[in-house]
Amino acid sequence: MADPKMRILVVDDFSTMRRIVRNLLKELGFANVDEAEDGAIALQKLQAGGFEFVVTDWNMPNMDGLQLLQAIRSTPSLAQLPVLMITAEAKKENIIAAAQAGASGYIVKPFTAATLAEKLQKIFDKMGV
Amino acid sequence: MSDFSGMEDLLQDFLQEASDLLSDVDNKLVDLEKDPGDRRLLNDIFRGFHTIKGGAGFLNAAELVTLCHLTENLFDKLRNAEMQLTPELMDTIMAATQGVRAMFGELSQAVQPRPAPSEVIHALRVALHEQEPEATAAQAAAPEAPKSDDPVMTPSAQSADRGSAGGPDWQALHAAVTGQESVASPVSPAKSSVALEPAGSKAVATEAELTPHFPPEGRRATDKPGFVGTGATTGRRNEEKIATRESTIRVDTARLDQVLNLSGEIGLTKNRLTSLRADILAGRNDSETLHALDQAVSQLDLLVSDLQNSVMKTRMQPIGRLFQKYPRIARDLARQLGKDVELALVGEETEVDKTMIEDLADPLVHLVRNAVDHGVESPEERLAAGKPAKSVVRLEARQEGDHIVLIIADDGRGMSPERIRNKAIEKGLIREEEANTLDDRQSLNLIFLPGFSTMTQASAVSGRGVGMDVVKTNIQKLNGSVEIRSEPGKGSVFIISLPLTLAILPVLLVLLGDQPFALPLSMVREILPIEKEKMQEVGGKETLVVRGEVLPVVALSRLLGWPQLQTPEYGVLMQTSERSFILSVDSFAGRDDAVIKSLDDFRPRGVAGVTTLSNGQIVLILDMKELLADLNAHVDRDAIAKQHPKAIELSA
Repeated sequence: MADPKMRILVVDDFSTMRRIVRNLLKELGFANVDEAEDGAIALQKLQAGGFEFVVTDWNMPNMDGLQLLQAIRSTPSLAQLPVLMITAEAKKENIIAAAQAGASGYIVKPFTAATLAEKLQKIFDKMGV
Repeated sequence: MSDFSGMEDLLQDFLQEASDLLSDVDNKLVDLEKDPGDRRLLNDIFRGFHTIKGGAGFLNAAELVTLCHLTENLFDKLRNAEMQLTPELMDTIMAATQGVRAMFGELSQAVQPRPAPSEVIHALRVALHEQEPEATAAQAAAPEAPKSDDPVMTPSAQSADRGSAGGPDWQALHAAVTGQESVASPVSPAKSSVALEPAGSKAVATEAELTPHFPPEGRRATDKPGFVGTGATTGRRNEEKIATRESTIRVDTARLDQVLNLSGEIGLTKNRLTSLRADILAGRNDSETLHALDQAVSQLDLLVSDLQNSVMKTRMQPIGRLFQKYPRIARDLARQLGKDVELALVGEETEVDKTMIEDLADPLVHLVRNAVDHGVESPEERLAAGKPAKSVVRLEARQEGDHIVLIIADDGRGMSPERIRNKAIEKGLIREEEANTLDDRQSLNLIFLPGFSTMTQASAVSGRGVGMDVVKTNIQKLNGSVEIRSEPGKGSVFIISLPLTLAILPVLLVLLGDQPFALPLSMVREILPIEKEKMQEVGGKETLVVRGEVLPVVALSRLLGWPQLQTPEYGVLMQTSERSFILSVDSFAGRDDAVIKSLDDFRPRGVAGVTTLSNGQIVLILDMKELLADLNAHVDRDAIAKQHPKAIELSA
C-alpha cells in the first residue's frame, strides 16, 4: 500500500459524505486528509500544492467533479495527479465521460472500505507506487 | 432498538444536513411551479435528491434510496427537456418529497424507513414510463438490456482505453455499474436496486420516446383528489415533527475561532492580573503599577463583553432555516382549499437564538396556516372584491434594536371586531357588558382566548386542537408578544416581537429613592430633565412636549404603586412598538449588561427577572409592557376609555 502520510483532498458538497469518505480513508490508514466543498474550492487548494491524491464527487454546485477533473488534467502541474471519482451515478455515459476526461478510477455509492481499498490499490498499482 | 448501532453520529449528521437540503428542495419546488422551465432550479433539485440518495446508501436505507432515485431520474428527464412539467407531475413530485421527509422522520427514530406509499412509487414509475417492477423484471429488462448492452459497451471500452493513459480497470467498473459485483458488497440490497434501475429505465426510455408523454393511467393515478389529500395529510404530520429539538448546532468556524481567540486573550489578561496582584501584595503601589492594573482590568472588561457576544452569536441561526419550511406548507394548504396563495419571505438572513427558532416553529406554522385558511378568500371572492385572484401572504423577519420582529401579513378579508366580539359572547368567553367596553384592538385580541375560533365550523385544516391561545402562550414563554392589526377587506397582520436573546439584556439602572430598578435599554430613546414649569396638563394627564411631540409623563412610583417621596427630576423617554411616553424617575445609577436570572416559580407581575450588580446588590428588571398593561386595565376600568380612547393609549 502507498505512503499512509499521503495528502488526500476529498471533494463533496455534502459534508456528511465528506465525513464518510474521510472515515473510510482513515480506516485504511490515510489520515492526512483535507476537504473542499466544490470543484472551484478544490482547484484552489490543489493549485496551492501539496496534494498527492484527489477523491471527488461528481454532482456539485459551482464546479462539478467532471469539470474539476478536466481542469486538473489541463493544468501542467496537476496533470499527473490521480483522481478517483465517487458518485451515485451508475450510468454508462457517466463512466465513459469520466474515463475520457482522465479519471484514474470510478466508485459508485454506496461503497465500503474494502471497495475503496481495492480501487485505491488498483490506482497505486497503475502508478507504480 | 436502533437499526443504526455504530452509525448514530453519521445518522445525526446525515439527518441534519439532508433535512436542510430537503427544505431547500421544497422551496425550489415552489419556485419551480412558477417557472417550470428554469434549468438552474431543475438542476439544483436533481442534485438535492441525488445527494440525499448517496448519503442514504451508506445508511443502508434502501427504501429512501429507491424513492430518491426515481425522483432524481424524473428530474434528470425534466432538466434534459425529455419531459414537461405538468401540474399532475408536480403533485407526484410533491408527494415524493413528502415521502422522503416521512422517511427522515423514521430515520430520526433510528428505524429503517418503510417503503414509500405504493401510489407514490407507482405514480413516479408511470411518469418515468417505467412499468411496475413485476412486469419490468420479466419483460423489459430481460430481453432488452443485454441487446442494448453489447453495442454500447464496445465503443465505451475502446474510448476508455484511449481516453486515459493511466488505464483504469474499466472491466471492474462496468461490473460495478451493471450490478454483477453487488454480491461482494454488504450493502447489496440498496446497491443492486440502484445499479439495476438505470439499465432498465434506459431501455424503457428509448422505447417511451415514441409514445405520447402521458399515458392515461398516469393521469388517473395522480388526478384522484384523494391522492393529493392523503399526501398532504402525511406531510402535515411530518411538518409537526420538524419541531423536535435538535441537540446539536452548526456553527460557522469563524465564530468558533473568535471565541477561542477571545478566551486566549482573557487567559493572557488573567496572567497579567495575577502578576500585578503579586506586585501589589508585595507592597508596590506606585502609579505605574496602578496604571497597569487599571489597564488590565479595562481590557478584561472589553474582552469579557466581546466573549459574551461571541458565545451568544454561536447560538444565532438565520431564521431562513425555519422560514424555508413554510412556502411548501402554504402551497399545499392553498391547493387543498382551491386558493391561489404565494408566500413571500422577507428577511430570511435575520439571526435568531437557536432555542427560539425551535420554539417558533409551531406558532408560525399555525399563523401561516391560519392566514391561508381563514385570512385569504377564494379566488372568486377576491375577484368579486376587485382584488387579484392570487393572494400574497408575507412572512417577514427583521431586527429592530435588540428585538426581533416577525410579521405574518395577508391581503385577505381581514377581521371584523364586531363579529369577533359577538362570537366571544356566543361562546361564553366574555359577558356582553364586558364586550361593549372593548375597543377594536382589544376585540381583535379576543381571538387569543382559549376556545375561540372565528369559523362557525372548524375546517378540516384547522381542526387540530391547537388554537391561537397556544400561539400566544408559546410566544410569551419566549418573553415575546403578539399583536394583531386588521382592516376588514384589506387583510390582517400579526406582529410578533421577541428579544434577541434570552440570556443577556442591556439595561438602564434608574433610582427610586435609593432603590435601583433595571429598564430594558432597548426601550429607552433618551434621557431628559423634568422641569416642572414645562409640564402641561392635557385631559387631566401630565404631559411634556419633546421636539413638538406631546408625550404623557408616567411616574415610575405610580406604575409600581409606591408612594411618591420626592419630585422626580429625570424623565426617560421610552418607546414601545406603538407608543412613546416619558417615565419619570428620581435619578440614575448608570447602564449595565444584565445577566438575567429568572424567578422560576415566583414571578410577580411587571417583573421580568432579577440581576446582580457589581456591588452584589440585587435589582429587579422591570417588564414595562406588563406594567403598562396593568395601568391600562386600571384606567379602562375607570371607563374613561369611551371618551378619550386616544388619550388612554398615550397615558400608558
